[in-house]
Amino acid sequence: MVNKGFVRKFKPLEILTDEQIEEIHRGTLDVLERTGIRFESEKALKFLADNGCQVDFKNKRVRIPSYLVEECLDKCPSSFHLKSRDPKNNLRIGGNTVYFTASVGMRTVDLDTWEQRIPTMKENDDAVRVLDALDTVHQLVSYCPYSEIKGVPPVLAYPVSTASRMRNSTKVSRTSQVMDSEIWDIKMAEVTGTDVLGDMEASPPLTYYENTVNSAFRFGKTRFPVFMASGCVMGGTGPATFAGSTVTNNAEIMAGIVLLQLISPGKGVMASHFVFPMNMQTGQPGFGGVEIALHDVIFNQIWRKYGIPVASCNPYASSAKTIGFQCGYERMLLTLTAALSGANFIILHGGIHGELTFHPIQAILDDDIAGMVGRFIEGVEVTNETLAVDLIEEVGPIPGMYLDKEHTRKWWKREFFLPMVADRLPYPEWVKKGKKTAVENAKERFREILATYEPIPLSKEQNKEIEEILKEAREYYSDKGMM
Amino acid sequence: MSIEILENLRKAVIQYDSEGAAIWAKKAIEKGIDPMKALAALTDAIRQIGNGYGRGEFFLPDLVGAAKVMTNATPIIEEEIKRSGKKREFLGTIVIGTVYGDIHSIGKTMVATLLTAEGFEVIDLGVNVTAHKFMEAIRKYQPHIIAMSALMTITAPEQKKIVSILKKEGLRDKVKIMIGGAAVTQEFAESIGVDGYEATAPDGVKLAKRLIGMG
Repeated sequence: MVNKGFVRKFKPLEILTDEQIEEIHRGTLDVLERTGIRFESEKALKFLADNGCQVDFKNKRVRIPSYLVEECLDKCPSSFHLKSRDPKNNLRIGGNTVYFTASVGMRTVDLDTWEQRIPTMKENDDAVRVLDALDTVHQLVSYCPYSEIKGVPPVLAYPVSTASRMRNSTKVSRTSQVMDSEIWDIKMAEVTGTDVLGDMEASPPLTYYENTVNSAFRFGKTRFPVFMASGCVMGGTGPATFAGSTVTNNAEIMAGIVLLQLISPGKGVMASHFVFPMNMQTGQPGFGGVEIALHDVIFNQIWRKYGIPVASCNPYASSAKTIGFQCGYERMLLTLTAALSGANFIILHGGIHGELTFHPIQAILDDDIAGMVGRFIEGVEVTNETLAVDLIEEVGPIPGMYLDKEHTRKWWKREFFLPMVADRLPYPEWVKKGKKTAVENAKERFREILATYEPIPLSKEQNKEIEEILKEAREYYSDKGMM
Repeated sequence: MSIEILENLRKAVIQYDSEGAAIWAKKAIEKGIDPMKALAALTDAIRQIGNGYGRGEFFLPDLVGAAKVMTNATPIIEEEIKRSGKKREFLGTIVIGTVYGDIHSIGKTMVATLLTAEGFEVIDLGVNVTAHKFMEAIRKYQPHIIAMSALMTITAPEQKKIVSILKKEGLRDKVKIMIGGAAVTQEFAESIGVDGYEATAPDGVKLAKRLIGMG
């Protein structure tokens, strides 16, 4: 059994010509072969030198021949499976399927004052339960939902967060790769009998740090596929142009793919980008910008040619600090363009400001966005039955109508999308019911989920094993003086 | 003549002309212009861009670009200052870097640029800087301030380590510590025992001036 997610039933949005794709591809190979990539890891330098790369050990620079890059791209499967402990949450990543992923924030935000603060463990667990309850959340990212938890030492927040996801959700998690945190993610996946999606993130421009390399070698030994990401800030850590930043971004991802495919040939890979324009006034990433949408469309089009599944990582991140108009229009634009252009994964639910804040109320609002966009990409069905020519003949002009017809009863629910929290009441009814907005409706749904929804629990033994892994993590970081 | 040369030196910076800046700096020295005046022309120019940035008329590429041009001319002038036995006056010395475990450089570079423009001597240690490296630089340069950038609070132990080594070596009172970075807060700053925190680069410069008793 596999969760079918949403399936795009029409041609993806494409804005590059074949010639432009070729030029970007050649530019990327040129960068990998001439400029090369810096690997801050002796192990990686040696390994890549032994496997056909030209390595300058002094400057830690690896130049990768084009044939090897293309060979490694070809080794990546066009789709892969992720097993959940609940079969209805198994995923098959690739093709025309679009899955939505819950996002992350370092902290939560107060919905009245919009002040940011570190959430409690209970708030973290509750948020995971909400994400488990939402049908349009198919997967959970690393550090999801919060990467800081009150009373938990920062370095332990990652394994503690993974443990919370394992206990409060059956949806497959992506791992993290900070300070060896993937060790605990992998162990927890093994004891709960679920897959995880590994994580490798480059550091633009053109660099891989040791954490990521270690992650590649660790995941090479597992059955788990890997989420391979990079994300420059245009004008800062990548060129300010779309073509140029696509070249560097793709070169970074491809270098990671080369390393991973050499370690573990045929490993499932998802190519992902989180390129942002730079906010040239503040130096911060320009969260929510239209530039991200353009980048997404280009990225998805190019990687479809390589036959490798893709993820759009940015729809969740807004420049807005509040749940409101700006937050809404930014995420809708980015979600829609990602889905239209062929993203297999879209990171959306719950994030508000950049990577800084998350709120389950936003995740509930995003359930409507995911549903609307998902409905859109499923397109239209044209058959004799949907054309309904005989029915039109039967109903005829006024006073004919369709409301009492069996055809309507059968089809409207398949053709229409019913939002869960959008305000669609007629005005008098809206006044009578307390003039509630979508946000207030989302708050009600939040309370209802927490009151009624129970995730499938882990067994006693599994819980005990998770506890043991956390204990081991605590000792590991204590020994390293990181607590 | 000397006014013209200084004006051209200033113009080279505001027109992002690296080559021109070096040429006019050399000319200034050749013509025997007071190197302190030449340096003042450069800092005036960068301050002009810095002020424009503060008003929203210029953007980061302008600011960082002009600072880069300046680095083409200042060594030439500094050499002359040294040769003439004079000493360049700085507001203070600052050792800056992004802490270990964190490789984000842009915010740190912005602060370093603005601090340089303001007249501080800035020693930029780069990114992923361990407590050990910070301590080496503190011993070598004896700065007035260390400025640490951290995007993620996971790096807190490394920052605390610096505070505790400084205490152990009896140096904590001799150096001020300021921090900044996207996820860093006042609360966090207090929790690791540093002297100041600001959220933006221009405010970081104001903080540095406050920490050395200027304003």
